[in-house]
Amino acid sequence: MTSFVIAAVAMLVALVPAGITLARGTLADAVIGFQFITSVAVLVFALLAEGFRRPSLFEFPVLVALLLFGSGLVFVRALERWL
Amino acid sequence: MIRQVVTDVLLALAVLTVAASAIGVAVMPDAYSRLHYVTPAAVVAPVLVALAVLVTEGLDENTGETVLALVFMMAAAPFLSHATIRAIRVREAGDWRGRPPGEDQPGGQPGDQPGDQPSDDAPARRSR
Repeated sequence: MTSFVIAAVAMLVALVPAGITLARGTLADAVIGFQFITSVAVLVFALLAEGFRRPSLFEFPVLVALLLFGSGLVFVRALERWL
Repeated sequence: MIRQVVTDVLLALAVLTVAASAIGVAVMPDAYSRLHYVTPAAVVAPVLVALAVLVTEGLDENTGETVLALVFMMAAAPFLSHATIRAIRVREAGDWRGRPPGEDQPGGQPGDQPGDQPSDDAPARRSR
């Protein structure tokens, strides 16, 4: 197990407090928890791709990082208008 | 050997940054304060991870794609933070500017105070 995989697992563990905030907080807290978790998920995917030596998997964090912006704006707009 | 040590240090710093941010998101009292702690995880930690990949792999395709993801995240983070704060403000105050000048004077319109219920004929203050 390389240091990249260990770092990925540690980051996944660090998502637990944000997950609790997402599940138990207000709607605004949930949106913030979502943004935090997606930001860390991009890092975890990049770390796992490097840790398991799969160069093709490096495209996935790029795609998730790109979608992070659009999905975040969708949730923020829904928070502002409809929720 | 030196590359491995530098990589481990960079990854440890990235994990510490994410862990501290996660604790900050969990323990802060309100949404405005929580949002401050998203930024280190979205800006600082990706830089450290990209540096770790760079030290391990050198300048190759993997490093380039990691840096590309980093650029997307760093570009999106300030816009998302601003939009989120604006949305929370609109939800709480009805308008992102808060109370317009003069409405906080005595004799203002119903609904200006936090406990007031706006009447049906009150002008729409929600910014679209």
